Amino acid sequence: MDRIVNGIARGVFVFLYIPIVAVIVYSFNAAGTNTRFDGLTLQWYVELFQDASLMQTLRTSALVAVITATVATIIGIMFALGLARYRGRGRGALMALIALPLIVPEIVLGVALLSVFSTTKMPLGILTLVLGHLIVSLPLATLVLMSSAAMLDPSLPEAATDLGCTPWQTFTRVYFPLLRPAVVAAWLLSFTTSFSNIVMSTFLSGVGSTTLPLKIYSSLKTGLTPSINALGALLILLTLVIVLLVGVSQMRRILVESRT
Amino acid sequence: MKKLIVASVGVVAALALSSCSGTGGDAGPSTELNVYAWADEIPQTVFDAFTEETGIAVNVDNFDSNETMISKLAAGNSGYDIVEPSQYAVQQLVGQELLEPLDKSKIEGIDNLAPKFADPSYDPGLQYSVPWVWGTTGLLYNATCTGGEEITSWTSLFDPKWKGKINMLDNMLAAYIAGLQVNGYGADSTDEAEIAKATESLIEQKPLLSGYNSTNYGELVASGDVCISEAWGGTSTAKIVEQNPDVHYVLPEEGGSLWVDGLSIAKGAPHQDAAYEFINFLLRPEIAAMATNDGGLASANAAAQEHVTDQGLLSNAAVYASDEQVANADFIVDPGKAMRFYQDGWTRVKAS
Amino acid sequence: MTATTRAIHLGRQEKPKRGSLLLLIPGIASVVLLGVLPLFIVARNSFAVADDYGGITDGLTLENYAKLLDPVYSKTLLFSLGLGLLNTVVCLVIGYLTSYYIVSRPTNRQGFLLLLVIIPFWTDFLVRTFAWITILGSGGPIAGILGIFGIAGFSVIPSNLAVVLGLLYSFLPTAIFPIYASMRSIDPSLKEAATDLGASWWGVHRRVILPLSSPGILGAALLTFIPTMGVFVIPVLLGGGKDPLVGNLIVTLYTEFRNQPMGAAVSMVLLVLMLASMALVGLALKRSSTKRTTTKKTEA
Repeated sequence: MDRIVNGIARGVFVFLYIPIVAVIVYSFNAAGTNTRFDGLTLQWYVELFQDASLMQTLRTSALVAVITATVATIIGIMFALGLARYRGRGRGALMALIALPLIVPEIVLGVALLSVFSTTKMPLGILTLVLGHLIVSLPLATLVLMSSAAMLDPSLPEAATDLGCTPWQTFTRVYFPLLRPAVVAAWLLSFTTSFSNIVMSTFLSGVGSTTLPLKIYSSLKTGLTPSINALGALLILLTLVIVLLVGVSQMRRILVESRT
Repeated sequence: MKKLIVASVGVVAALALSSCSGTGGDAGPSTELNVYAWADEIPQTVFDAFTEETGIAVNVDNFDSNETMISKLAAGNSGYDIVEPSQYAVQQLVGQELLEPLDKSKIEGIDNLAPKFADPSYDPGLQYSVPWVWGTTGLLYNATCTGGEEITSWTSLFDPKWKGKINMLDNMLAAYIAGLQVNGYGADSTDEAEIAKATESLIEQKPLLSGYNSTNYGELVASGDVCISEAWGGTSTAKIVEQNPDVHYVLPEEGGSLWVDGLSIAKGAPHQDAAYEFINFLLRPEIAAMATNDGGLASANAAAQEHVTDQGLLSNAAVYASDEQVANADFIVDPGKAMRFYQDGWTRVKAS
Repeated sequence: MTATTRAIHLGRQEKPKRGSLLLLIPGIASVVLLGVLPLFIVARNSFAVADDYGGITDGLTLENYAKLLDPVYSKTLLFSLGLGLLNTVVCLVIGYLTSYYIVSRPTNRQGFLLLLVIIPFWTDFLVRTFAWITILGSGGPIAGILGIFGIAGFSVIPSNLAVVLGLLYSFLPTAIFPIYASMRSIDPSLKEAATDLGASWWGVHRRVILPLSSPGILGAALLTFIPTMGVFVIPVLLGGGKDPLVGNLIVTLYTEFRNQPMGAAVSMVLLVLMLASMALVGLALKRSSTKRTTTKKTEA
């Protein structure tokens, strides 16, 4: 029976990489369309780097995702630590509150936020994008951190205080090292959520702040260019470079620990 | 661990920071212009030429639907100068007072426009918009798939013979063009009974459909997954037709319809001088021709036609449909109060 | 306990409490300002009247909700709930088996396997979806290979099968992660003990692993089921858009129909349904945990 399960699981990993392999293969396709394969070319990579507006949207997405992920992780750490130490009534309600944005369809939240920003006369741009992405990634980041924070020994802060640590020292020397794997996982999850967001961005982007997924989505009308495949392939490459840079072993440790 | 954060933050932050160089910092009035347009309908070459000649830096953002653009403008404070609404969206924007009336004394070259766009029903006297590119809604079919049979009428979209091989545009007003015209009504009908009849036809049609798709229907027709599709003429359709000798684009004998995407100035545009300069620049015949040469779309500018490098496009129905082909075509305009009949009908079609 | 020690004790207990409240403030403030406040606007709008140009008038009406009683809406809702349930079950079964596989690997390989699960999601969603269209369409590799063997005309684009496949792909990681997390905390000796006592593979899972990983499974169920309701691109691109989901309905109402009040009403109904399902899962969790403690007590 375990052998069957192993077979199924390996199949799942293959399944996850099928479209990724296709994206990479078709990024070298000489035919201008995905419906045929006409031999190999590097043309789409050349076009990609010449496409200034596409590269600009990539930068916008990266900027927004970095800020969003960082802010979401910081707020998430605070909330998770606070909740782990909170023994009063309404813990369940607090958890439900932080998860609330998960159960509202994004378009509803996006349109509603747009009207909030317009009544407060906040100009649309990077800031509104970050706020919009924050509200969809904060619940995910917090939930990841909460599972880790709940495992911490409740007597830790007392011990630290007895040893003469200030609250800040308690955090940097005691909590943060213990939470580090979860912090990385939460950051990556928020980064991915923001980086790939379409719906919130549709309503909350402003002059000069078109994100990459928005650009791709709006070019659907004229047809996706093969350069988009090239960009997809390059982003996978970038991911692999980061993974190798950090060292697979470290990454393993981070993820294993963060999920306990 | 630290390495990971430094590495990943470093890579993205480097990417991110360089984005600041994109927008000019110390912008005085009219050294900048913010454009909100359909992706690729105003080719990058046009923006480059404009910046080179005037020194005005252009920020371009794209939208994926008129509705997205309208909701952005309706929120106010958008910061855009030039927007590119389709014909019915012009009416909706005017209705919500989201456009500046155009000061004709500041516009040069409006006489270059083709006569059929000089005084359109959706914007009489071109008070709010200057037509830029246009196209049609018609039929795209794969002749191999139909066994050589020529498709000339909307009725084919309702013919059980092609069951499972028909695609309709996933757009309410577009679907009703076929639904109304196949019954002999105008595509701009506001009559409740006519719209109800069209709804019935569309509900009857649904089991015959492969699907509703308005994004990659061209590729579906090219690959033969779909034999006949309702289609928008324009860049992607022209590309599909050009690459696949078996694929043809025709306007149906019932008429089909016309769409126009034009240039308008958003209410409270921060750089109005630059906006007028941009409109005038785009009205020049040689610039307007770039919409065809670099964008693969039909220009609304009649004087531009002699500057089109590939004169074959002027007789290609997927790009420039001829005057006689579009003689019966209707402009899809905002149905106003009749919108409710369309919406109720379309909801029923989708849920059936 | 003397008065002084009690005072110290109380002081200790209260100090972290106040501190923890301060820590909660940024999170609460973000959700209230960016989540709850907009939701109030949505709730208000669901009772408003749309004007001809997509704006909202000040009127107050129940008409938007009354309209939802029309069978056309319940049909879409039921179809979405059905598809959501199907997707949740498929994701849970495959997610459970995959998590079990990952947990049975050596500890130092587990992180790498988890990383393998998320990397595909760092490519753009549309790019991935179009890749699936190419693969499953008639011009793709599957059709090509089948063609060599004389099987012509393969294509599952568009179809509901493709939608299920696309949904499974999108939600698999969200199912795997929580299940993996709770499976990992199961003491491996429990499994060994059960096996030694002669329990079959199925018995080990039914009596040991499945019940002990139920919090993760329920969490995965929520994280899969709820977001499936809001999906709207997959049904159009992979499914042909003939069977719209609630997500499509809301998007159509908000954009094409420019009928925000109606869209808001649909959202509110969906919100209540989701909150109810969350409460149900919460209740189930509570019951299973009390059950477990009572069994433990009886055993003891």
